[in-house]
Amino acid sequence: MASVEYQGLVKNFGSIEVIRDLSLTVEEGEFVVLLGASGCGKTTLLRMTAGLEEISGGDLFIGGKRMNEVHPRDRNIAMVFQNYALYPTMKVFENIAFSLQISKVRASEVRRRVEEAAAILNLSEYLDRYPRELSGGQRQRVAMGRAMVRNAQVFLFDEPLSNLDAKLRAHMRVEIRQLHGRLGTTTIYVTHDQIEAMTMADKIVLMREGQIEQVGTPDDLFDSPRTRFAADFIGSPSMNFLEGSIEESDGHAYFRSPGLRLSVPDKMAENNSVTAGLRPTDLVIEDSGPLVGDVILSEKTGADVNLHVRTESGPIIVTVSKEMSVLAGDNIRLTINPEKLHLFDNPNGVSLRSN
Amino acid sequence: MTARANRLRWLVSGESAFPWLAPLIAMLVVFTIYPLVYNVWLSFHEYAPFKRRVEPVGLDNWSALLSDDRFWDSISVTFTYFSAMLIVQVVLGMAIALLLDSEQRGFGLLRALLTLTLVIPPAITGMMFLLIEDPEFGVLTWILERVGILDGTNPILATGSTALLGVMLADVWQWTPFMVLIFMAGLRSLPSEPYEAAMLDGATSWQTFRRITLPLMGKVIAVAVLIRGIDLFRIFDYMFVMTSGGPGTSTYTLSLYAWQQTFSFIKWGYGATISLVSLILILIIANLFILVSKVRW
Repeated sequence: MASVEYQGLVKNFGSIEVIRDLSLTVEEGEFVVLLGASGCGKTTLLRMTAGLEEISGGDLFIGGKRMNEVHPRDRNIAMVFQNYALYPTMKVFENIAFSLQISKVRASEVRRRVEEAAAILNLSEYLDRYPRELSGGQRQRVAMGRAMVRNAQVFLFDEPLSNLDAKLRAHMRVEIRQLHGRLGTTTIYVTHDQIEAMTMADKIVLMREGQIEQVGTPDDLFDSPRTRFAADFIGSPSMNFLEGSIEESDGHAYFRSPGLRLSVPDKMAENNSVTAGLRPTDLVIEDSGPLVGDVILSEKTGADVNLHVRTESGPIIVTVSKEMSVLAGDNIRLTINPEKLHLFDNPNGVSLRSN
Repeated sequence: MTARANRLRWLVSGESAFPWLAPLIAMLVVFTIYPLVYNVWLSFHEYAPFKRRVEPVGLDNWSALLSDDRFWDSISVTFTYFSAMLIVQVVLGMAIALLLDSEQRGFGLLRALLTLTLVIPPAITGMMFLLIEDPEFGVLTWILERVGILDGTNPILATGSTALLGVMLADVWQWTPFMVLIFMAGLRSLPSEPYEAAMLDGATSWQTFRRITLPLMGKVIAVAVLIRGIDLFRIFDYMFVMTSGGPGTSTYTLSLYAWQQTFSFIKWGYGATISLVSLILILIIANLFILVSKVRW
């Protein structure tokens, strides 16, 4: 186990800067998820950590030691690749055992460790097969087994679940979390899937265009997004955004938008261009609610229903329990707890609320 | 429309493969199948010079082989040449391919230059090396004498113990690039992910080569060995140009011996028998190799 620290890290591909002055500390034993849209630099950051990409500027410390120029094989890092990167000509046993065999671990010890890992990962009956004879989920587990048998300081996962079907993905999320619970190894996990990030991370690092947008626990990012980008990225369905202004009357601040006036709990200066963010789950149907709209579509997701509502301020989505029995064509009134209202400055998108 | 016209129409329409295959089949019959069958027939006959005709001799040619020392010598020379050249060219070819498999400046030019040796006719290569190894003014002779390996009394190609080595040099020069090109194409088609995984698993370059590159290259190596092996087994040109099989029988290969019996000694039947032996041997070797190499073709 070791901490990982990035100080002013920079990565250029030719004239394109993909990581810009990035600083971050991953504590010992932490499970950190790098989250972001494709092209935001998260995989590049992971590959720089592993030593598979050169570092153009700044410093990388693993366990307190500077690692910029250290060869990947001397970093003691295990990585699970997106497409698994298994050794195609080796059977499952050899795939898992490879790192131990080349470091001259005794054969009996190799067998013991591989069998132990295989048992944990439900691979015991597949040890004699080639990777091409396995399903995607099994290959994924072999890749994890390969990381497990080593006493690596850090585990890196590069979108390991993106090639699996939804059900298996949910299952593997739990397995990876349990594996982390059992081994306690510092883990950096890259994904573009915010649900993976929310369900697995101790700490989420939301990235955008090579920089960190926000770092925090899943709850921090969900409840107190610091920017409009963060608010939009986390949560499904996404946050609703309404354009408007902040007005003050009789010592109280209000968010104003066509046909809508919501009180704002904090003291806030007048501002004629802001964006209000309302999570679909925070909106409540109430006869006295200030927001009026027509339901144009109702989407069932199982326990909940997503209502697509047209309001004077713009289209929004509201998530309600299916017992509410609201149908397309209904006229509804909505309200929101002022505490749950997010406000972002225009055009820079920074949150106006100091949560 | 008559039935006959219908049939003709079917033949020339795209529905039948025959019209498209016909030229190839004709070529195969004329240039491969007929000569092969004729060769087998010939091996049971012999040309009688005074009668000026070919007469049946039964199994005489085949039984003569058993007691023909020169035949057995030529088999031994062929096998020595074949196995030594395969090993040297595979190892050397792989080493050079690994060295050149890089995006450094100038390597593209080097790769292009490699193909040059392949366009030179082997007989010309033989002439070149005959000059290079010439005892009077050959540059190789001069160098080897300078470093004290040769002392001027044993010309490379006229000494029994070195003549075959001298011929091999030409073969290595001309055909190692062929191996390099095939191996390089193979190396370039390998996936990069297992290499990154191996790096993180802590493998050294040698361990990576041994455990990952070699197994992944198995098929490519097998194909190269097969193509080159068949070629090596019927080696003729270099010996013909450089040594005519000598000194003694030290560079006499099966092909050269068959040629000599057929065209110098006008023993058509015996020559045909020797070349048939050569064909049978290479068929056995090739099929054994395919069986042993376990490559799924």
